[in-house]
Amino acid sequence: MTLLAQYFVTGIVTGCFLILATIGFSLTRRVEGFLNIAHAELLGVSAFVTWGLNVKAAWPFLPSAIFAIIFTAVVGLVVGRLFYDPIRKLGPAVLLISSVGVAYVIGGSVDALVGTGIRTLNIPLATTYRFFGVRITDYQMIVVALAALTGLSLAVFMSKTKIGLAIGAMADNPELAASRGIDILQTSRATWLLSSGLAGLAGVVLALIATLSTDLAFHQILQILAVAILAGLGSLYSVMLAGLIVGIAMDMSVFWIPAGYRPLIAFAVVILVLLVRPEGLSGRKSK
Amino acid sequence: MNIEQLLLAVLTYGCLYSVMTVSLNLQYARGGMINFGTVAYFAAGAYAYAIFTQEPPSGLDQYAFGFNSPWWVGFIAAGVAAFLFAIVTGWPTLRLRGEYLALTTFAFAEVLHSIFLNERRIGNGSVGLSNVNRPDFSWIGMSDNYGFAGAAILLLMFTAFLCHRILASPYGRAIDAVRDDETAAEAVGKDIKRLRFEIFVISAVPVGFAGALYAMITTLVSPGLFTAEVTFFVWIALILGGEHTIKGAIFGTLALILFEEVVRSFNFETVRSAEIAASVEHIMTGIIFIMILRWQPFDRFTKKEAVQ
Amino acid sequence: MTDDILVVNKLTKQFGGLKAVGGQGGLSFNVKRGALVGLIGPNGAGKSTTFNLISGVLEPSSGSVALNGKDLSNIKSSEIASHGLGRTFQTPRAFTSLSVLENVMVGAGSTGERLTSVFSGSWRTDEADIKSKAIEVLQQVGLDDRIGDIVANLSGGELRMLEVARQLIRDPEILLLDEPTAGVDPSLQGKLSSILVDLHNEGRTLIVVEHNLHFLLSIADVVIVLQNGELLAEGTPNEIKNDQRVISAYLGDEYAA
Repeated sequence: MTLLAQYFVTGIVTGCFLILATIGFSLTRRVEGFLNIAHAELLGVSAFVTWGLNVKAAWPFLPSAIFAIIFTAVVGLVVGRLFYDPIRKLGPAVLLISSVGVAYVIGGSVDALVGTGIRTLNIPLATTYRFFGVRITDYQMIVVALAALTGLSLAVFMSKTKIGLAIGAMADNPELAASRGIDILQTSRATWLLSSGLAGLAGVVLALIATLSTDLAFHQILQILAVAILAGLGSLYSVMLAGLIVGIAMDMSVFWIPAGYRPLIAFAVVILVLLVRPEGLSGRKSK
Repeated sequence: MNIEQLLLAVLTYGCLYSVMTVSLNLQYARGGMINFGTVAYFAAGAYAYAIFTQEPPSGLDQYAFGFNSPWWVGFIAAGVAAFLFAIVTGWPTLRLRGEYLALTTFAFAEVLHSIFLNERRIGNGSVGLSNVNRPDFSWIGMSDNYGFAGAAILLLMFTAFLCHRILASPYGRAIDAVRDDETAAEAVGKDIKRLRFEIFVISAVPVGFAGALYAMITTLVSPGLFTAEVTFFVWIALILGGEHTIKGAIFGTLALILFEEVVRSFNFETVRSAEIAASVEHIMTGIIFIMILRWQPFDRFTKKEAVQ
Repeated sequence: MTDDILVVNKLTKQFGGLKAVGGQGGLSFNVKRGALVGLIGPNGAGKSTTFNLISGVLEPSSGSVALNGKDLSNIKSSEIASHGLGRTFQTPRAFTSLSVLENVMVGAGSTGERLTSVFSGSWRTDEADIKSKAIEVLQQVGLDDRIGDIVANLSGGELRMLEVARQLIRDPEILLLDEPTAGVDPSLQGKLSSILVDLHNEGRTLIVVEHNLHFLLSIADVVIVLQNGELLAEGTPNEIKNDQRVISAYLGDEYAA
């Protein structure tokens, strides 16, 4: 029973990481209207910038992380303007295919600069706490706290600020948003900055809780897709719920099936949702 | 690597991968279906070939089956395996379109990959099956390298003939109509489910054969060889070909393979420089891909020569 | 009974909470074999939805449609087409990657659309027949000079005629035409009406949705008037022109005789 509870708690942590990794992806999908496969590569960019500053340049962790997040946001904006904007009229399928090319470019650049091998940040070792026999580390708690904080502040941002409301309006109905005087271009730029910055945050979290290798980013994409597809085109809250479901399902599955099959749960979610209920948890149909 | 070897490698792998590109051309450019799981049919073929031709397990072997069959039985089994996997993946996804179909086929391919990786009874898990049997070309007086190059060319010719035969017939006209406008196609009695399903399944079969040939050439099948990179490679080659014709698909693949083989043929002083070269190859591939999608508008194939 | 080619019985269709077709008791009407029926009504009356329900593009919420006494419930639209029902669409639909000639040829159900015959090559003998038939129907609709053209070069009116040709090659017993005059040059409308009359004289049943009432009332045998998805009136053009309900709901006074 304790073991099951342990898997459950680990699952929550995984789910919180997935929430952070997927929020930005989901935002791009709603506003820009396509699945950006290259989103996962941005996690890699952020993780390795953090590592480079923290380990190679010997910066403290926090400034490294902040710089990495800002850097990733700008990279995401540039990529969006340079690669995606010119072909937006070709439709979501072509954008999806193009994003594979973009993933190659970003992934290849990280590879070329960093090289293969396994790396860790220069931070104190994790301290483990026990609650009723269930172990959790301080870094894992940070992940959960960050996910909660991000979700909350994003919810406030989207519902209270002018730019947040504009993003929401554009996600729901671009034509209506344009006719109501919302600056589409500016809103689109803000979305790229925001979603890529969130990818940056997720990348920092990845650097905190995982050992880094250059193929790490790519392995996140299927789980991100699983969460995004399960969430559907709906709000932030459906992403948070979907993240927790996928995270907990993956980690708890290890109790019953061999650990090697853990990633299979994510694929199974993608397949099941698309076959049974393509609109996902939110129940909104794609435009 | 000398020039002869380089050209032979380009020809062999170029034709082998072209089999996949030409099949994908049928599925995507003509059938309108985005299959992001091409590697799965390739892997299914390769594993089927290896399992059918290897000896029964003994000693430390973890795999459960080995039928010790001749190469041609394994080759047929490869086509059948791809065919069956296409039925399993194609039937439930029939009503999906566009990006949703892309994602589901991608996920199916990852599931198969994960099963090969974790289920040791199929093919020793991550270790894979080595020393895969290959046919002997000495009886026609050819070295293995030339023999397999010839086999790849033959397989490509067979695939191109198959696709050409389909596309040049009223069947090809009907699938063009279904891709252009499903509702209008139904209004003239086209069973779009049947047509889409048939195209999906039939274009997987040559990919399975290509998998068998790949297993013969490398004499190794392992999960590491069959990742999503293969799918992406084939897509990039197809887009590079640009024309949405069989010829375009083949030229695109040959060009991409030539590019890769040339990069690989340089002698690098250090491991690090080889790594950088590989990364730069990735970056350039990605940039070419993006540029082609951007500058060569997708409606190119709609301006197909009018038939008098 | 045997005289009715099409029987529409208590048909309804809801989108969300809105009833697009069929009010209280559903929409019911019969169409006699060989008739030229006009289907008219204000925008949103449910004319195109009725076509989509008959041709199987949409599933009815309740009620049924029978063609030649055969119930069409749960039959795919492609199969309904094979039972001899042809239709065109409100917005003309064309296969943009095919030439004008191919757009018509694809309408004919060739044996070469079976994988088995693709490889035996047995379809080749039919192909010449299909081609000459296609040229014939293209002449019939006045597109014979555009045979080798790509559809992107056709005008809106020509696209409509292309759709008609694509259906004619299938030799349908009953043909549903959705606004055939829309976008057609007024000078060509006379030709269009003579094409419809020819088809009618060939013994085909035609149902025509049309906003151009001068055009429609001059050729129809029977007119069905829809309003809010319900049958408002049914009768000969003269009866309809003088029907007070139709005049107040839709026609106005200008058509009254």
